[in-house]
Order: sequence, then structure tokens, then C-alpha cells
Amino acid sequence: MCFKHRTLGQGGVIGLHSGPHNQTDGILIRNVGWNLIGPIAKCMQSCAVGSEKERGCLQLLNALIESCNPKEILLGILEQIDEAAGDHISRIILPFLQPLQIVLLKLGNKKSYSVGLSLSTIHSRLSNLPVPYTAQQMQEDKYSLCQCCLALVQFAQPFIDIVSQSIDLSKEADTEEMRKELLTFCFSCLKYPLLNAPLNTLPEDEGDHPLRVFAKQIMGFLVSLGESLPRTFVQRGHSAPTNDTEGSISGNEVCSVESLACLSYLLFVQHIGIDSFPFVFGPSFLVKSNMGHVAVLLKRTEESLLSKGLDLLEHSLLRVDNGSLPEDVLEVLTANQVLQDLVKVMTLCPIEHLRKKSLATLQLVIDKFCVEGKYKLFRCLLKISSHAGVEGYIIHNIKNQIDAALKTNPQNKWFLGTRLTPLLLSALSLSEGAETDLLQMSDRIMASLNLLRYLVIKDDDNETGVWSELAKIEQDFLKPLHTGLNMSRAHYDAEIRSTHEKKRGSHSGKPLCTVTAGGNKLPDMTPEMQLQVLQSALFTFDLMESVLARVEELIEVKLKSAPEGKIGSS
Amino acid sequence: MAAAAGEPVREWSSEKLHSDELAKKDIIAFLQQHASESFLTENKLLGNIKNVAKTAKKDQLIVAYEKLYASKRFKGKDAVGHVTKDVKDLKVNDGKAAEVKSEEVVDDGPPKYTKSILKKGDKTNFPKKGDTVHCWYTGTLEDGTVFDSNIPTGAKKKKGAKPLSFKVGIGKVIRGWDEALLTMTKGEKAKLEIQPEWAYGKKGQPDAKIPANAKLIFEVELVDID
Repeated sequence: MCFKHRTLGQGGVIGLHSGPHNQTDGILIRNVGWNLIGPIAKCMQSCAVGSEKERGCLQLLNALIESCNPKEILLGILEQIDEAAGDHISRIILPFLQPLQIVLLKLGNKKSYSVGLSLSTIHSRLSNLPVPYTAQQMQEDKYSLCQCCLALVQFAQPFIDIVSQSIDLSKEADTEEMRKELLTFCFSCLKYPLLNAPLNTLPEDEGDHPLRVFAKQIMGFLVSLGESLPRTFVQRGHSAPTNDTEGSISGNEVCSVESLACLSYLLFVQHIGIDSFPFVFGPSFLVKSNMGHVAVLLKRTEESLLSKGLDLLEHSLLRVDNGSLPEDVLEVLTANQVLQDLVKVMTLCPIEHLRKKSLATLQLVIDKFCVEGKYKLFRCLLKISSHAGVEGYIIHNIKNQIDAALKTNPQNKWFLGTRLTPLLLSALSLSEGAETDLLQMSDRIMASLNLLRYLVIKDDDNETGVWSELAKIEQDFLKPLHTGLNMSRAHYDAEIRSTHEKKRGSHSGKPLCTVTAGGNKLPDMTPEMQLQVLQSALFTFDLMESVLARVEELIEVKLKSAPEGKIGSS
Repeated sequence: MAAAAGEPVREWSSEKLHSDELAKKDIIAFLQQHASESFLTENKLLGNIKNVAKTAKKDQLIVAYEKLYASKRFKGKDAVGHVTKDVKDLKVNDGKAAEVKSEEVVDDGPPKYTKSILKKGDKTNFPKKGDTVHCWYTGTLEDGTVFDSNIPTGAKKKKGAKPLSFKVGIGKVIRGWDEALLTMTKGEKAKLEIQPEWAYGKKGQPDAKIPANAKLIFEVELVDID
């Protein structure tokens, strides 16, 4: 023993890999041979991949597998894998996979637990490696993660085969157990590395990219294991408990919400495994079910997850005809979550292309809903968005819907008549009356003024009810806007005057606060810059005031020219 | 080109055809490559090889193979109007009760779907809205292309295969299914022809090769209700 340890340490392995030489050696090796796995692992770490020395180590390992108790060897190998850290993770896992597979296959009928233990040990080690993100990183595969994933597929294949070739799982307890272990493994692979893998940035035709191949294999495994993809998919789609899931083995203990979200993404965006998905579900139902998965993805902040969430939402919506998504989709709890997160990404996400994409997706959501759905969606969005730009965008959409109703569908009872009134009043309002920060809210206020202007010009017959509500609109919107404009203008005029004075005097005063952007401190604003900002605020007020004046003028003209009783009186 | 010009070489002998070595997929691939479109349509051999393999039994494929050589309806050689009457031999003969009932129309206006019963159910157990139904099905396009099926492959009955389960009548599946299943009883097998408006409409489902405005034909067996 000691001798062997020494030889390994010194780098000489020749003479050992031919196995035990005599009987005493043989017994010794059989009983304590597994102790050698540690030194072998160390030796392998120190030598180059594919070197003579590495081959020697592997031969020695195989000789040990031949003669020792497989359970001991198994634990020996797993111990080494478990201890691997940093750069050594793949360096240890890769060469040990095949010996480990041989040992497991030698275990006979009760191997499911050991297979599960091996897979979870390997997976938990691998999940310490960063998932390559850019195309270059993928090519480089610095930590050999892609290589490990593919090797892992090879490793798991014979066990998958055992399950898929079994005739009756209910009679084979160990195989059924194995199935559960393998399912757990597949679902954990969906969570890591596939959830983070930037599959969307790979060109479609690059079918042989390792991570895409890995995704296909894992989905294939799920199907081979007899896992019903529709059941698994629907399971988490609804927040409400559903009976549809009974009989599915993938209870919460085996798959996390992230794994399921990734499964949906692979199915509906990457079309991996879609051949095994039934084509009888209604498109609206798929949208509804996907809301839960989208919510999981949009809740996160990582670019790869957010873009998966947006892609999944987009692809589920694209299956639906414009104007046909039923309003009850909004009743799904997660749909509200998705809308909030969509607005969050749109307004707060630091990554520009995601902000743009989320806005485009919001428009897609709007387009797909039926009339009643659109109406409810707008009310909901105005309530949750708390961002002037988004609210302005919604109000603009409301205007478009009213326009479509006036032009093509006078029977539209959501964007015309009494039902429209509450929506109209909430679009034509100032959240804090005259004290509203007009500058911050300018996008919304301009959209509101535009809407009102449009209604006044187009709706002579009071189909939208704007004329009946005029008094209220004046009270809650136009009047406070006037007051607000006067106050703001006075305030900013005063500011300009005081800045002018400051400019003339010495500006020794310390700044009240400093601003940093991207970690760099921005220089203090010079009085000239301050003046510019103040001036541009005044321009905004000018613009607002001129549109406001024009709207009021139009109202006056219409009221005068209209026949009595038609407009202006309710 | 051993036989007549333009005729592909007979790849497999009868023994070879029946041996286990020859996979169904290979026969299907051969037929799809060499047989005429109409021959494939009549014999329900169009579509994704995997799906065809799911629906066709090996014996049927062998018959089709032999018939292709007997009728010489190879690609590009199909005579117009050359319609074989023994197509029936190849139809899936599911049990004895495969007699096709007269088509019953199920809507007042232009019907959005028609249902013909292939096998009677128990005529008492109708699913109610919200019940979970379990069914086996095969979906085909009008040209016979199989786009989806959950019926396990004949040879090696997949133990894992379970019928599709879902709550009926509440908009989870395409309208044609939702409406038709409510009229079926436990054990019934029916052929549904669903108009695009009640199927996937003008969008189709590109990932399942369902084109825009496609009429879908399903054979659905309602095996259980709970």
C-alpha cells in the first residue's frame, strides 16, 4: 500500500496498472483498493489531458473496479467528485464518468439510489460553474461545462434505457425508483444550466451547439421516461390548484418552477420536444397556462432569463388571432404579475433591447385581447404602471380603440357609451390634482390632452359620452391643469431668476447633492446648464398650455355650434 | 433499375420485410421516397415519419409495400384516375365495430364540425363541463398527413403511454374538441371533421405543420371520464 502511494506521488504508475501480481496483493487490493482512488484523482489532476500518465491512472482505476467491491469504489469516486472545486471540477468529473458508469452498472438490481446519488453529486458540482454567455465564451468553453453536459448525457443513457425498456414499471420497484431519480436529474438540468443558457442568441441552423444538443437530449429523456409533457406543462400554468395534475409523477419534489418555465421555453420558443406535445389545446389556453411560467422568468433580473420570459410570452401570443384572447386570461393571478413585471422591465431594466422588446410585447398583448379584454387591460395597466411614459402609451392606445370603434363598430359597447366613461375619466385626470408634478407627468398629460382633443373633434354625436362628462372632466382635469401650470411656471420663473443671480455672484456654495452614473461621479451642474434645464421645463409648460388652450377653444366652438340637446347636456 | 424503366429496385424480399431487423421507419421512408402522392394519401402514409410509424402497423406497411409493386404507382408514374378499390383492406380495423355511422350534423348554421361514430359508447355516460376526460386520438390534415397522435406504437407497447387527459368544455382544447366531446359517451370512438374556425383558424400552428385555415380530422376515442 505505502509503496503504491509513493509511486503514485512520484508520478510513476507503470507497473501498477497491470493489477495485483500475487495473491496477497490481490486480497489487499480487494479490501482496501478504494483508498487508492484519492491518490489516483490527485495524480490525474496534475497531468495533462490525454497524456500517457493519465491513461495509466485510468487503467489503474479500471483494474480497481475489476477487483474491488463496487459500492466502495462508487463512494470513493463520488467523494472525489464531491471534493472537486474551481477549475478542477470538470477535470475530475470528465475522466471519472465512464468508470462511475461501469461501477453503477455492476451494482445489479438495487442501483437506483446510487444512480440518483451519483447524478445529484455530479450536478451539484457542475452547477458551481458559470454558464457561458457570449458566443465567444461558448466557443471557448473555459470550464468545459458544455463538454461535461454532453458527457453526462452519455453517462445517463444506459439508465434511461433500463427504464424505457421496462415492460411494467409497477412491478419493478427499483426501475420505478430509477425513473424518479432520472426525472429529478432531467428537471434539475432544465434549471441549470439550461435556464441560463443563451439559446436564443444561437442561430437557428446551428443545431449542433452543445447546449442545444443537451437541451434536446434532456427533453428526449423526459419523453423516454414516459413523462407526459402536457401534464407537466399545465401543472404550474395555473396558480389555482387543478386536478389535471393527478397521476403525474413530477410532483413538486422533483421539479421547481424554474425547471417548468425552462421546459415551456424549450417547447414553445425553441420547439424542442414539441413533437411530443399534443396539438389539441386551444391557443388561448396555452397563453393562460404560460402566464405562470412567464411570471417566473420575468421576476428575475438576469438578461438570459428576462429575454426567455419575453420570448415565451411573445411566442404564446403569436399563436392567437388578433382580438381573440378572452378577457378571463386577465383573471389568472399570474397574468397580473406578468403585466406588472412587463412594465417593470420596460421602465427599470438597464438593458436597452429588453426594454424595447417588453414595450413591443405589451403592444402584442393589447392587440391579442378581445374588446372587453382590452378594456379591462387598460384599466388594469393605468392602475399598476405608475410611470408617465407607460401611462401615456396606454392612453394613446385607448384613443386608437375609440377611433376604431367610432369608425368601424358602433356596436362596440366597451369603447363607446356608458361603459367607456370610467376608463375615460381615469385617463383624463391628474393623480394629485393641481399639485401633480407636471414635468414628471408630462408624457401622460400630453397623451390625455391629445385624447380629449381627438374626442372633441371627432365625436359630434356624443357616442363616447365625452360631452356628458364634460363638467367632470373640466373639474378634475382641465381646471387643476390650469392651476398647476400657473404654479409651476411661477416656480420655475423664480428658479431662473435666482440662478441668474447666483451666476452673477460667486458660486462658492457647496452642491446639495452629487449624482453618480455608472459608478462615475458626474460633475456639478454649472449655472448655465441649470438655466438650460429650467428653460426646457418652461418650454414643456408652454407646449402643454398651448394644447390645453386649443382643446378649450374647440370645446367652446363645438358647444356653440351644436344644436341644443345634442351635445353639452346630459 | 432491374425491372421496368423508372421502377425502383425492390429493396427487400418478403422474408426481409417480415424480419424484426427491418424497422417500420425504413419502410415508410422508402414508400415516401418512391410512391406517388395519391398512393401515399390513400394509404395514410403522408406526414412526419415518426407520426406515420405511430399510426401504421407493420403488417399494413408490408401490404402497402407489396401493393406499390403490384400497382406500380411509383412517383411520377401515377396514372390519373387509377384508383385502387382495395384501399379498404388497409384501413385501421379497430375491433369489429368499425362500422361508420351516417354523418350527423351538429350545428344549425353551416356546421363547424361533423362527427361520425366509429364505435358506439355506453350511451349513458356523457361528460359534463369541467369533467376530466381521457382520450386516445390521431389528428390528420385533409391530405391525410398525420400531424399528431398519442396512440402508442403497436410493436413495443410503451408502458408509459397514457391517454391525454384534460378538463372538457372549458376552453382548454380547440373548440371543435370541446363541443364534440360533450356529445360523446364513455367508450365511444368517433371521427371528427373540424372546420378551421373551431380548430387553429387562420394562424394554423406552424410548429405542428398545421397550415393556415386547415380543416382538421381527428379520430378520438373517449376512454374514461372522471
